[in-house]
Amino acid sequence: MSQTALALPRRWQGEALALPLLAALLAGAMLLALTAGRFPIDPLRAVEMLLAAPFAGAPETMEERIVLLVRLPRVLLAALAGAGLAVAGAALQGVFRNPLVAPQVLGISPGAAFGGALAILLGISGALMVGLAFAFGLAALLAVGLLARIGGRTEIVTVILAGLVIGALFGALVSLLQFVADPNGSLPAIVYWLMGSFASATWERLGLAAPGIAAGLVLLLALRFRLNLLSLDEAEARSLGVRPERERWLVFCLVAAIVGSQVAVSGIVGWIGLVIPHAGRLLVGHDHRALLPAAALLGAAFLVIVDTLARTVTSAEIPLGVLTAIVGAPVFAVLLRRHYRERFAS
Amino acid sequence: MIGLETAVVRFGGRIVLRGLSFQVERGRSLAILGPNGRGKTTALRAALGLQPLSAGRRIGPDVVGYVPQSVSLAHPYRVLDVVAMGRAAGLGLFGQPGAADRAAAEAALARVGAAHLREASYDRLSGGERQLVLLARALATGSSVLVLDEPGSALDLANQARVLGLLDTLRRERRHAILFTTHDPNQALAIADDVLMLMPDGGAQQGPAGELIAPEPLCGLYGVEMRLVRLIGADGRFRRAVLPAFLGAVE
Amino acid sequence: MPLRRHAPLLTAALLLALAPPVAGQPVQITDMEGRELRLARPAERVATIPIPMASTLIALDGSTRRLVGMHPLALSAIQEGILGRIFPEAARIPANITAPNFVPNIEALAATRPDLVIQWGGRGADIVRPIENAGLTVMLILYGTEERARRYMRDVAIAIGRPERIEELVAWREVVQQRIAGVTSTIPEQRRPRVLYLQRALSGLVAAGADPEIYNHFVIELAGGRNAAQGLRGFTPVNAEQIAAWNPDVILLNSFEDQLTTEFVTRHPILSLTSAARGNRVYKMPLGGYRWDPPSQESPLTWMWLAMLLHPERFDLDLRAEMRSAYRALYGHELTSAEIDEILRIASQGEAANYAAFRAR
Repeated sequence: MSQTALALPRRWQGEALALPLLAALLAGAMLLALTAGRFPIDPLRAVEMLLAAPFAGAPETMEERIVLLVRLPRVLLAALAGAGLAVAGAALQGVFRNPLVAPQVLGISPGAAFGGALAILLGISGALMVGLAFAFGLAALLAVGLLARIGGRTEIVTVILAGLVIGALFGALVSLLQFVADPNGSLPAIVYWLMGSFASATWERLGLAAPGIAAGLVLLLALRFRLNLLSLDEAEARSLGVRPERERWLVFCLVAAIVGSQVAVSGIVGWIGLVIPHAGRLLVGHDHRALLPAAALLGAAFLVIVDTLARTVTSAEIPLGVLTAIVGAPVFAVLLRRHYRERFAS
Repeated sequence: MIGLETAVVRFGGRIVLRGLSFQVERGRSLAILGPNGRGKTTALRAALGLQPLSAGRRIGPDVVGYVPQSVSLAHPYRVLDVVAMGRAAGLGLFGQPGAADRAAAEAALARVGAAHLREASYDRLSGGERQLVLLARALATGSSVLVLDEPGSALDLANQARVLGLLDTLRRERRHAILFTTHDPNQALAIADDVLMLMPDGGAQQGPAGELIAPEPLCGLYGVEMRLVRLIGADGRFRRAVLPAFLGAVE
Repeated sequence: MPLRRHAPLLTAALLLALAPPVAGQPVQITDMEGRELRLARPAERVATIPIPMASTLIALDGSTRRLVGMHPLALSAIQEGILGRIFPEAARIPANITAPNFVPNIEALAATRPDLVIQWGGRGADIVRPIENAGLTVMLILYGTEERARRYMRDVAIAIGRPERIEELVAWREVVQQRIAGVTSTIPEQRRPRVLYLQRALSGLVAAGADPEIYNHFVIELAGGRNAAQGLRGFTPVNAEQIAAWNPDVILLNSFEDQLTTEFVTRHPILSLTSAARGNRVYKMPLGGYRWDPPSQESPLTWMWLAMLLHPERFDLDLRAEMRSAYRALYGHELTSAEIDEILRIASQGEAANYAAFRAR
């Protein structure tokens, strides 16, 4: 019997506590977010309004409207997007067996970004813009699928390469749009939108993004056990009754639904899909059954907090993509070092 | 039951399997022997249903208890979670393992004598322990077919003994059809009822292990002269073994 | 009464400081980046790359005669507004001499055989050197403040040999500014309405910060207002909640977004509750020979317009008369009543607070 067999993994033993604590963290973050803002509203009043909302009529006063029509849909959207992006990232890292993978790798974000930028250039806004972004996100995924399909099969490596190619293509198209855009008008709008923001969140936009994100989220969570199997090699997976290729594409489509919907309403928000799953693994381990719910809760809380900072720290709206990068990059560096220090220390 | 029926496999212009047929019934155990590159792996993959056949067909269930040769996993899962993967077939795409599945996984782990490893991180285990865990996973599938790719190879002697002993016990229980490939004719002799030799000329020889694991057939297979040796087992009974002649003559 | 009768007094001072060239004589200019330019004679063929310069040149020359090339968006701006109707021949002027990002298309530019090319300064040599390498004379301009506007108008007027236009267009600005500042500089802080300018609204709210470099801030302060966007620098995205916190008394909407109307504010759940919306003081910037948002040859009209909206009781101006007089001087055009209504958007915001003064008598 080997010495290391008895060494239990050095992670938080209280796994069973992790999920309830994360849920509490999310609830706290959302409550904080709803009571914080540039417009001075007494926090207790805000809570009162929230509790009374389902029974009251349409919001009348400025306070009510700010809490219920500006903050509430925005916080919900941030939470939903954070959960969706984190779960999408965790699922992709599982399927690709690579911890450096993020939703960008499938080319969906650049595709959706192109759709949104095109809408801005053409002066299209609202539901049509969301639709355009979502459509191009899916088109990018389709292009990746067709490009990577060689001899009736798609290998993981070819999918990553195809994703790079399609992502680069749409990135170039976005640059082209910026080139022809009016420097006075649509160009700054496109640039700002690309940096990501929930500033335009309304109940209507939440309604446009929620179905895609929620559907992707729910189904990916239902696949959490299956994701353990999808990380096995082909022979092992097949012998266990799994159809790896088909199921991988199901995961990709769900990721596309989440990312496409999110980019369509709020531009490119990066780092969540990359960093949150790592933090989740440090808390609950690699088993996707625990990881996906943990990532969802952690991602939601993180994005709610960061978005609240983006809209309250200064009178300007700080672009969200900038904040997630500024916070995400060092956090990722720390996680990476801890993670590998653990592994190499054994 | 698992097997192939006149299976033909071509890679480009090269024919790797020429109309290969074999069957392993439940309660029997078959070892596939052969030098590298003669189609052992291909035959195994074909039996698993992974290899498209140019002709012939595969016989066997969809879900097979498969123990791969390589024991590394992409993610450092917990041992119990690895074994739990074996329950996937019964759960469908969106299913989550329930109490019954957990119990089955625990039972399989206990069966291979590794229950004490349940909470350990898989990537911290030794090669032998990992193979035991993968065997437990294969058992957890509940399939009546076990397929192993070179079990015990790349393990140290102590772990080899453990794994092979376990396979022998499983064989004696007569509950599974066991198919495995091996480099070692003595391994085949120890734990297989029948042997399938994939000969250098592309043909195949099949028969009981006791008959085929003998100097002449093995010399034809490996092109190396072999010598028969008689051993006395721990139980006092005689056992045979074959060794390459270049090791020397028996004293 | 038109303010321009004060102009001659200031012109004397200005002319004394200059050495105005006579038509046909060589022209020497130091441009806004300190580069020395020499033209054998005043430019007859001028190509303009910065967007506002096309209509500036037309105004300085009173015609499209000298304009031989412009930015594609300058052409669309001209065609959208009244300038395209006053000068329909502008539609035939090449607009392919530059990419939208101001990188010149040297071949197309050279094909227009310009005596002078006007280009952005302060944006690096990469957009300037290729033009110089093609053997063309380049004058650089800087943009964004009132001082810069007067400087480039002066430079261009000299370059085309029309120094008398400096008095008419540039001195006029000084006169109007003095007149308005004379009234508004004495207005105490608490009597100044809080004014918010939204540079963009439909695809996200962007406000003009309380920043001396921002022209809209300058205009607001000059007209006797106070920029509501305190703590903000530059043109910066903001959210509706912040605007609610500022609670502006007046909201100015940009004229860049065609689809944007005052209904955007009156229908917005948050913005409709601001003091501005409640007081019916939401105005979309007019679009004349150029948009009235950024600096242009028509800026003094903008100042008067806003001053009258913010402090109607302190100004006794006839904006329509001022516009007629200005357009005569700028473009040699007699504005009709209908055209004035269109420029000032009487149809869509004629009922807004204090707008009655702009309606035809």
